[in-house]
Amino acid sequence: MSHELSQEPIATETDVPTDSDGDVMIEVEGLKTYYEDGGLLGGTPVKAVDGVSFDIHRGETLGLVGESGCGKTTLGRTLLQLEDATDGEVRFDGVDITTLEGDDLHEWRRNAQMVFQDPESSLNDRMTIGEIVREPLDVHEWETPQARRQRVKELLDTVGLQREHYYRYPHQFSGGQRQRISIARTLALEPDFVVLDEPVSALDVSVQAEIINLLEDLQDEFGLTYLFIAHDLSVVHHLCDRVAVMYLGNVMEIGPTEELFTEPSNPYTHALLSAIPEPDPTVERDRITLHGTPPNPRYPPAGCPFSTRCPARIRPAEYRDLDDELWNRLNTLRELLSERQRADRSVRDRLRAAVGKDTRFGTVEETYDELFGDLEVPARVQSVLDEIATLARDHNESEAIAVFNEAFGSVCDDEPPAYHDMSDGGHQSYCHRHTDEYRSPDAVIENRHG
Amino acid sequence: MSVSESFEPTETTDESRPLRERVADNPGPARFWLLGTAVLIALEFGRYIGWVYQLVGAVKYVIGLVGLIPSWIGDSVGEATVPIVSYFVSDTITLVLLFGIAVLVTRFTSWSAVDQFDIGLSDRIVRFLERAVVTAILATLAVLLAFTPVGGLVNGTIDGVFNTLSSIPTLTSHEVISNQGHRTPGGGWDGTFLGLSPAVAWGLRTLLVYTYALTVIVWSWKGYTIFRDHYRQADWTPRDDTLRRFRSHYWGLFGLIVVLMFIVTALWAPAVSPTTADQNIASPYEYEIEYLNDDGEVATVTPGAANLGSISTNQNTVGPMSYDDYDRWAPLGTTPSGQNLLTHIAYGAQTSLVIGLLAIGLGGLIAVTMSMLTAYYKGIVDILTVLTSDTIISIPAFLLVMMLSVIFGDHPLAEPLNGGLLLGLIFAFVYWPGMWRTIRGPSLQVAEEEWVDAARSYGQTPANTMRKHMAPYIAGYIMIYGSLLLGGIIISTAALSFLGLGIEGSTPEWGRLISDGRQLVSTPSWHVATIPGLMIVLVVTGFNALGDGLRDAIDPEADTGGADDTGTAAAGGGG
Repeated sequence: MSHELSQEPIATETDVPTDSDGDVMIEVEGLKTYYEDGGLLGGTPVKAVDGVSFDIHRGETLGLVGESGCGKTTLGRTLLQLEDATDGEVRFDGVDITTLEGDDLHEWRRNAQMVFQDPESSLNDRMTIGEIVREPLDVHEWETPQARRQRVKELLDTVGLQREHYYRYPHQFSGGQRQRISIARTLALEPDFVVLDEPVSALDVSVQAEIINLLEDLQDEFGLTYLFIAHDLSVVHHLCDRVAVMYLGNVMEIGPTEELFTEPSNPYTHALLSAIPEPDPTVERDRITLHGTPPNPRYPPAGCPFSTRCPARIRPAEYRDLDDELWNRLNTLRELLSERQRADRSVRDRLRAAVGKDTRFGTVEETYDELFGDLEVPARVQSVLDEIATLARDHNESEAIAVFNEAFGSVCDDEPPAYHDMSDGGHQSYCHRHTDEYRSPDAVIENRHG
Repeated sequence: MSVSESFEPTETTDESRPLRERVADNPGPARFWLLGTAVLIALEFGRYIGWVYQLVGAVKYVIGLVGLIPSWIGDSVGEATVPIVSYFVSDTITLVLLFGIAVLVTRFTSWSAVDQFDIGLSDRIVRFLERAVVTAILATLAVLLAFTPVGGLVNGTIDGVFNTLSSIPTLTSHEVISNQGHRTPGGGWDGTFLGLSPAVAWGLRTLLVYTYALTVIVWSWKGYTIFRDHYRQADWTPRDDTLRRFRSHYWGLFGLIVVLMFIVTALWAPAVSPTTADQNIASPYEYEIEYLNDDGEVATVTPGAANLGSISTNQNTVGPMSYDDYDRWAPLGTTPSGQNLLTHIAYGAQTSLVIGLLAIGLGGLIAVTMSMLTAYYKGIVDILTVLTSDTIISIPAFLLVMMLSVIFGDHPLAEPLNGGLLLGLIFAFVYWPGMWRTIRGPSLQVAEEEWVDAARSYGQTPANTMRKHMAPYIAGYIMIYGSLLLGGIIISTAALSFLGLGIEGSTPEWGRLISDGRQLVSTPSWHVATIPGLMIVLVVTGFNALGDGLRDAIDPEADTGGADDTGTAAAGGGG
């Protein structure tokens, strides 16, 4: 926590962090990591990381938070070249590492290491602690075998284990100790940059604090740069200098920790922070509940990735007075429509539909009844809904979505937002509401949920 | 654990010294052990040289076969296109083969041009050039050996030296303790060791064989303990635990004893059997033996003729622990064709050992390699392997074995051991998909472990990752399955012999004994099928027990608690 916040302001535009400052260690630019299907015919890839740009400064700890499946781990793994980047650049001290191969890549791997999430799985149980920690040294043929053994024993000392543990096996250690071994292995090659992939989430709370403190001490001692991936926001608050918030493969907001936690700009960050449990039971606090689940990363929304669940989504002026609940239902309808559009209708489904039987999609009437049955729908909305229903009945979903967007859509659904500077400290947020024509997310959330 | 750990400086100096210096400091125990070893080797020197000679023969055979590959392929291509092409093709393939050998040579020698010269080229190119140079040297050598008298000269020298050395009598050779002689009219024995009866002489020699083998094993263990107590730097290593776990694993020890006895019997087959296979089975009409005939005179007869007079069928029987009419000692009786059953058993052990180990070794190697590759790389490699293995599995195994052994019946591969080598290769080919299937799940599981990713993150090579981080978890499974399959292979070999497709001719084989003696089980000649049958049961059980013991021994999690039986079973590969 006491680390100084000494960042240079990140460049003003979204995709040009061409900061030539010596302080910048890693520049990520437009990074995309897509997982292709195993099939031979291609198909739509899963967009785990979908165009991410940020910088990591030398000696800092950058936190990376987001819910499960948002692509944080994939991003960390891509930075270490454990996954191949689909597009974009990762410049490590000016060298684009996504293009490294063979001997160059092998040599580069010394500089960047990873601490894995599960200490039960990250250590090979058939090897002694000594062999495990020594392996990186062996791989890079570091000095002599005697020197390696000596160094391993010193490393064990450094991470708070004993030298005699050299000949023990991993299963003889507790989770916290195993994580220490894992950290010792990470440090063996004296890397500059370490990705910590939820290093404490598999540990007991009491042990978590020890490991966090150890990581902080090691950072001071060796001048390490961390990328700390986590979903525990309080740990991030404690450890990180800056935080990046990820949602569906995109960085929604990035900025200095304290600023981001006290004055979040992005609606998603608002929602995320409101989920931190408050230790004081007397404090009245409104939790922003997000509706639905994150969209399928194979088919992310066309506009803002958060548009389907955003509590501060921009609504068209003529429908601004609609009930929040009705808006939620409308959003659900939209999702259902796009799901129906994607689903391949089998021959059987077509036949059943033709003879008037139920298909597995259910009829439009059922859906409407479920969604809007208990709500009072204004007539002008109802007329649009009727139009959509007619189209959907004919399985003309794309047309139905077009009608929906025409009536209820906004810039959130159509265009990806830009990054907007929130302060001089490099605080950026990825939201349409930061432009002058709309009210700010804070105000909207206060209004709608406050 | 380790006391010396706390004395850091001493430890560091100790660690930097090579074994040679450590021995020089305290030569007593090492000298004592080496002296004993020298005596043990001297006692059986001729036999060891004989083994080496056989090994050299096997290597020559393999080289010869590999040498034929380029011309086979070249000729086929030449026939399909223009004859001149065949020369280019066969030369290219020869060079490719030699380059492959060069890669191996450069990999396993520590000297590397990369470290020596700094030419300003990238490491990759220097390494390639180095291999090209080695290829050229190998090609020159090959040409020299194949097309000049040098080859014949070298070959002749090797043969001469080995023939001379391997004919030196050894402690357990027939020349030293002979059990071949005849009764004298006076009631004694002539021609046997010290005039003892052949039964006693044979018993003495057999006892000597197993005693000698036991001594060698004990002496090796002694050597290890001497090394551990006097010369090893670490007070404790993981290997100690493995040995400790195995030593208290009685089922595994039983297996080890059975397997060792089986191997010793196979290796010392000439000494264990009362007569050699050549004299008794292979060419019985080229020898002569003397015996005391019914008229009280010493007569001579060929073993072939004698065999006809000592058959074990439902009428006549030469049972276990008896002499036949020609004064020949038959410890396990005779076969329906009058040959010595123990000779068949002892030499048959060789056959079974070669076939079984070849099949399991080669098949297991393919299975483990493929499972590592498919689990690590997945994708197209995986799909192709699945297709290949499914194709092989979809054909009934026994039919496939029969088909292949018929197809390759006239192939040069079918010559050694009357088709035993071929059979081993066929079994390896037929059974690897099964082995691969059984270890596929565990391999895929272990490939997903984070330590594999971790290894990649610090730049470990795929080959080493597979070897160090994946293969140990598969070893348990392949050992168990391999030892189970070994029994199946011995039985399949027997079944093939029964159908007349397996090992025929002069090569002894246990399965053939069983099929020969099948109808005689209820007659006085019960021993013909029963004894080999029991041997198979014992050996197969022994291999299973050994596999079980080894698996428990190499798994450090197996001894976390003595009562944790389920954990032991699951730890075989789950990790």
